[in-house]
Amino acid sequence: MYKNKKSGAIGIVVTVIILILLVVLSNINIDKLSVVENIFSTIVMPFQNGFTMLKNKISGNDTFFTDLDNLKTENEELKQKNSELEQSLRELEIIKAENTTLKEQMNLKEKYGEYNTVSGYVINRDISNYTGMVVINVGSDDGVQPNMTVIADKGLVGNVVSVTSNTAKVQTIVDPASSVSCIINTSKDAFITKGSIDSGREIRATYIPTDAVLVQDTSVETSGLGGIYPKGIHVGTIKEVVNTQNPTDKYATIETAVDFSKLDTVLVILN
Amino acid sequence: MKKTLSILLIFLVFLIIYFLQVNFFTWFNIAGVKPNLFVILVLIVGLFAGRNLGISTGVVIGLLLDLFISKKVGITAIALGIIGFIGALLDKNFSKDSKITIILMVFLTTIIYEVLNYFINAVIFSYTLEIATFAIKLLIEVVFNILITIIFYPLIQKAGFALEERFKETRILTRYF
Repeated sequence: MYKNKKSGAIGIVVTVIILILLVVLSNINIDKLSVVENIFSTIVMPFQNGFTMLKNKISGNDTFFTDLDNLKTENEELKQKNSELEQSLRELEIIKAENTTLKEQMNLKEKYGEYNTVSGYVINRDISNYTGMVVINVGSDDGVQPNMTVIADKGLVGNVVSVTSNTAKVQTIVDPASSVSCIINTSKDAFITKGSIDSGREIRATYIPTDAVLVQDTSVETSGLGGIYPKGIHVGTIKEVVNTQNPTDKYATIETAVDFSKLDTVLVILN
Repeated sequence: MKKTLSILLIFLVFLIIYFLQVNFFTWFNIAGVKPNLFVILVLIVGLFAGRNLGISTGVVIGLLLDLFISKKVGITAIALGIIGFIGALLDKNFSKDSKITIILMVFLTTIIYEVLNYFINAVIFSYTLEIATFAIKLLIEVVFNILITIIFYPLIQKAGFALEERFKETRILTRYF
């Protein structure tokens, strides 16, 4: 009985470790190898310090270690100062975050000054892995109605699907049910972009004209067709063009301008 | 009185799970995939508390989720209601005393729920079906759900048998006949 309980607890601990490892490893950015660098420096540093001390002793540069008492007092004072500085840094960080949010709202209002808009915050995100809905804190009381366009600082977010008096459900452009009529900024070739369950920031361009020239990193914006989205709102940039044997099946992957995982402030276009 | 308290507790667990799903798991995920703890909750209620409470818990939780975040009201309610029913069905045919059985049940019901939900949504909203991507995401979600079940198994078992005692008078009999 004791053994069973013990092995059960060990099993739970092992599972927790596996789960945390899975989460960390699956979210790690391979480009940033600072973790490896850190581990390496942690291993190497003691040896390096030891060698430096030895070298200093041999070459007569070890007077630094003689006045140990003074150093200790100085260290205490510095620690005190450091904690004070950390405290003010934290306060500054809070002010900075507030400032950024306010600036974001100001920029949004200025950028889309031609539209009559109302700003709001994302208050709820989708619980499913296969859809892309968000809930914002403005509703019919603020003049928001279904089918209104929602934008963010970087570009198009989606459209309102339903409203309550204080909230609105927004179907983002990455939702598999979403489709947006778009054009390429330079060549004005039109196509339809559809949401996908594939990734949080990718949509797929389909119904591309056979003679259209799609170049990587070209900007894509709304065409104004379809009755929901106004013309000229930035959607994203072409990330990859996939040519198939049948030219009508050609498609492209577009990286959305808005990072939906970090979406916070939005504007609803009222007119 | 005890039954009402149990139902209130189920609702409290639902709220905790809801806040975990919309906040915690948006960053604590495996390759961008979140687990689905609602399926586990409804399965456990159906499995231990019986068909009626299982189905009604599934439908009520589903309706709330539909109202909170979904485009159409009813899809999640139907899917979770079915999971509650399956939970009760599994109770009649399998033992709940084994961890492996519970894990297999979570495996099965997560797949049933997500497939059902995805295909109903695909039909209603005319999705382009992305079977391969869906399968990969589903696999990760199932693994995530199983890991969470393993971690919380002692708690699940305790809570489950407490529910069973309150909602099923003939607990021992059903296990043998």
